[in-house]
Amino acid sequence: MKQTTRTLSIYSSDTAGTASMLYELGGMTVIHDASGCNSTYSTHDEPRWYQMDSMIYISGLTETDVILGNDERLIEDVCKAAKELSPRFITLAASPMPVMTGTDLDAIADEIRARTLLPVFPIHTNGMNSYLKGASDSLLAFLQYFCKENVEKTVRPSVNIIGATPLDFSINGTVESIRKFLMEEGFDVISCMSMGSSFEEIISAGKAQVNLVISSCGLAAAKYLFRQFHTPFVTGVPLGKRYAGHLAQELRKAIKNGENSFSCLYDRSIPQERENAPAVIHESIFASSLACALEKDLSIPANVIVPEELQISLYRKDADIVAECEDSLREILTHTGTLIADPFYQALISENQSFIPLPHEAFSGRCFRRANKVLAARDLSQWRDILC
Amino acid sequence: MLKIAFYGKGGIGKSTTVSNLAAIFAKMGLTVMQIGCDPKADSTSVHHGGKRIVTVLDLIRKYNDDFSLEDMVFRGEDNVLCVEAGGPVPGMGCAGRGIIAALEKLEQKGAYEVYKPQIVLYDVLGDVVCGGFSMPMRKGYAHEVYIVTSGEKMSIYAAGNIAMAVDLFRKRSYAELGGFILNCRDVPDEEKNVKVLAEDFHSSIAGKIGRSREIQEAERLNKCVCGAFPDSPAAKEYTLLAENILKKWGIKAKC
Repeated sequence: MKQTTRTLSIYSSDTAGTASMLYELGGMTVIHDASGCNSTYSTHDEPRWYQMDSMIYISGLTETDVILGNDERLIEDVCKAAKELSPRFITLAASPMPVMTGTDLDAIADEIRARTLLPVFPIHTNGMNSYLKGASDSLLAFLQYFCKENVEKTVRPSVNIIGATPLDFSINGTVESIRKFLMEEGFDVISCMSMGSSFEEIISAGKAQVNLVISSCGLAAAKYLFRQFHTPFVTGVPLGKRYAGHLAQELRKAIKNGENSFSCLYDRSIPQERENAPAVIHESIFASSLACALEKDLSIPANVIVPEELQISLYRKDADIVAECEDSLREILTHTGTLIADPFYQALISENQSFIPLPHEAFSGRCFRRANKVLAARDLSQWRDILC
Repeated sequence: MLKIAFYGKGGIGKSTTVSNLAAIFAKMGLTVMQIGCDPKADSTSVHHGGKRIVTVLDLIRKYNDDFSLEDMVFRGEDNVLCVEAGGPVPGMGCAGRGIIAALEKLEQKGAYEVYKPQIVLYDVLGDVVCGGFSMPMRKGYAHEVYIVTSGEKMSIYAAGNIAMAVDLFRKRSYAELGGFILNCRDVPDEEKNVKVLAEDFHSSIAGKIGRSREIQEAERLNKCVCGAFPDSPAAKEYTLLAENILKKWGIKAKC
C-alpha cells in the first residue's frame, strides 16, 4: 500500500522544522494554526521548551476565521504581541488549513512589517512536508535577511556548524561534542546554526573560513553563504574517531582550495555484498556520515537507506537505497544485516536480525531520548561484535 | 511582462473580451498567454475552434506532478498560448484552491521563463468569492485588474464588489484597478451608470464594446469576432481597447 504507514511513525512536519531552527534566535515564530497545535511544535518536537524561553506561538485559527478570511485578527494579534515582547524579527508559517484557503502569507507579512517596523519573513510551510524543508527554508530566509553584509574572514581557521536542531541531534551533547572536536582540531567556531549560538554570532557567519553542514537542514544555507561570501562547505558529521579526523582534514582542504566537499556521500564505499551489510536510517547526512565512520573506524561498509519522507535530503543517488513506502522498506530490510535506526524501525525487522538503536527525535520525539548516545568523535568499537 | 486580470459578473462576456484581446495582441506580433481561471475551463475554446483543452487540474488529477510544461500550454490557431486551470468535480472539492494549485503549478514548471509571454491575461471566474479567486490579482501576478460590466443592475453590483476587493487589497500591493470595460447590453442609461460606478472608484471606462450581432455570430462559428469579422465595429472596438492598454504600458506592437 503506497503512502500508507501501518507500523511506523511519521517524521516531524515542516512547521516543526521552522520552530526548531529559529528557536534560539530571539525572533517570534507564529504558526497560523488552530489552538492546541502549539504543543506539537513546542513540546513533543521541542526538548528545549522546558529549559529555554522562546517565542513560538500559534495564531489560534478558528473555524470562523477560516470561513470569513479573518486575516486582520492575525495581523492585530501579532502586532500586539510584538509590541509586548519586542522580538528581533517575526516569522510567519502556515499549517494546512490556511494553505488550503489560500491565505496570502506574503501580504500579511508585508502588513505586519509596515505596522511594527520589524523584519518579518513568511516561511511557506504547509504542515505536510518534512521538518527538513521547514528548517532549511527558515535558516535560509533568516540568513538572507540578516547575513548579507561583507565581512572580513578570520585569520585563524574558523568554521560555522550548519544544520543543528534537536530534531536531528537531540539535546544529548552531540552538538557540543562536535563543537569541542572542531576546537580541538584548531578551528574557531564562529557560530552553530542554530543550537548554542546567539543571534549576533550567527549573523557574523560570513567571517568563517569554511562551513560544516551537519544535516540537510543546513545545505541551502551553506550554498547561500558560498554564493554570498565564497565560503566553501563540507558535508558530514564528525562521527567515530577516524572519520571525524578525516572530516577535519576535509575542512582544512576546503579552506585551502575554496572548493565544496560532499564528504559524507563520497568518502565511503558501497558494500560489495549489498545484502546482509549493515544499514543505517537517519537524516541522510547523519546516516551517510555514520556509514563513513563505520567504514573508516571498523572497516565495515554500510548501506544508507533514505525513507520516502526524507527524499528531499542530500543522499547518494547511485548508492543509497530509497524506500518509497513502509511496505517497500519492510522488503528492503529483510535483505539487510544489522539495522542501525530509530527504535521504531525495529518493528519492521525479524527477531533474528540484529539492531542498534539510533534514536531520531524527528521520528520518535522524546520516546528514546535517554538511549540516544553521543557518537561524535567517539570510538565505535563497541559496535564491532554486533556488526560482524 | 505585463499581466492583466479580468473579472466581472458571470456571463457578462469576460472570456469573449479576453479572447479577443489575446487574439489581437497575438496578431500584433506579441507573445500572449491566456489563462482561464474558471472550473468550466471554456475561456480559451475560441482559439481552438471551439474545442476544449486539457486543464492543469486534469493533469494533476491524472499524473500528480509527472507531466511537463508542454502538457499544460496549448498554442491556439491564432498563436495565443492557452492554459486552462480547470477545477474539481462539480459540487465537490474547492475551486478556489484549484486555481491556486494550477497557477502555482504553472509557475513551478517555468511557464513564464520558458514561453516568455509579453502579455499574460487571466480570465477569472465571476466575483472574488474567496482567497483562490483573488490569486490572479496578488503580488507577483496581475499588475492591473479590468472589470467587465454591462449597465445592468446586477452586473454593476458585482462590478462594484470586485472593485471594492481591489481597493481593499491595495495596501497589500496587489494589482491596481485598470478600469471598467463596458460590454453593452443596450439597457437605459447604460454608459452613464457605468461611468458613475467608475468615478466612485476614481477610475474610468477603459473600453466600450457595443451590442453586436457579429460577436454572437463569431461565437457560433467558434471564433473571435476579430478573426471572423475583422472589419466589424466590435472588432474595431476590441482593437482600440488593446491599443490603449499597450499605450498605457508603453508596449510596442511588432506588426
